[in-house]
Amino acid sequence: MKWPRPAQPMTGPVIPIASESSGSNFDFRLHPPSASLPSHSHSHAIADTPLAVNCFTMSLSSASSTLLRTCARQQLPTSRTASPFASANERGSTLKIPNFSKYQSNKNPRSNQVFSYFMAGTMGLASAVGAKATVQDFLVNMSASADVLAQAKVEIALGAIPEGKNVIIKWRGKPVFIRHRTQGEIDEAREVKWESLRDPQADEDRAQRPEWLVMLGVCTHLGCVPIGEAGDYGGWFCPCHGSHYDISGRIRKGPAPLNLEVPSYQFPEDETLVIG
Amino acid sequence: MAGISNVIYQSIIRKNAVFLTTIFAGAFAFEISFDTFSNKVWDSWNAGRQWKDIKPRYLAAAAEEDDE
Repeated sequence: MKWPRPAQPMTGPVIPIASESSGSNFDFRLHPPSASLPSHSHSHAIADTPLAVNCFTMSLSSASSTLLRTCARQQLPTSRTASPFASANERGSTLKIPNFSKYQSNKNPRSNQVFSYFMAGTMGLASAVGAKATVQDFLVNMSASADVLAQAKVEIALGAIPEGKNVIIKWRGKPVFIRHRTQGEIDEAREVKWESLRDPQADEDRAQRPEWLVMLGVCTHLGCVPIGEAGDYGGWFCPCHGSHYDISGRIRKGPAPLNLEVPSYQFPEDETLVIG
Repeated sequence: MAGISNVIYQSIIRKNAVFLTTIFAGAFAFEISFDTFSNKVWDSWNAGRQWKDIKPRYLAAAAEEDDE
């Protein structure tokens, strides 16, 4: 930046009008032009004299306090050069703008832009794939493993169970009672007035096929395994605290609050039962 | 060259929504292709050693036992 100099030498300080006295414009006018002074080797006292006079005059002409402060600042420079800044022509000056053309790309600016956007987009793509894989790994880790899934279902061939017999199988660590009921037992289970029972439930809701009764063999009181073909009602009897279940697995007597639980099961074929 | 990059810029990069959609679609396609490719590499590297390769042998042996 070149410091603006007045076109012609001025003999004395110019007093600016207060309204147009904005910063830099005001700045150089306060200084007497260097041409008016014989040489740079003049003492500072001489150079500063017109400034002091200037400020004094302005205060007389009721200039604003801002202006006064500007005047005070003007006395700070000790050098008498026209510019308080270094010249770009000086050796080692930081005001020279270097030539960057050596480092500038010869390519089309658009292709450079597309390249940088492509790199950013590729990084976004890689991050998206990585984030998805991470989340998926965590979720898969939480789901059941293959050996657990393999034991989740149990398949039973029903042809091996004769009528009027119980079978106890293990399913998910718990015993499951399967009873092949006789026609007499089915009639007995269905004749009961189930509405007045402790845990009212119809036999039709407990057995998908009337001849096959499938229940979890865990007493609903405290979790013992009831004994089959025992008790006052011809069904199951829990030896721990004396709960009696009837031939449909419903609680009839004793401390248990609920009927024996029926798991989800289906008959994919006529002679096959799948529990789970 | 400038024409191609200009076409790419105007069609894909200029609108952020299009840019993002392209990135996610690209991520989807990349994942599928990468998984397929790496599975193929794995299968060719372990050819003859995996259960799906040797399963027919055991099935045939079981069938013969049933016949006996």
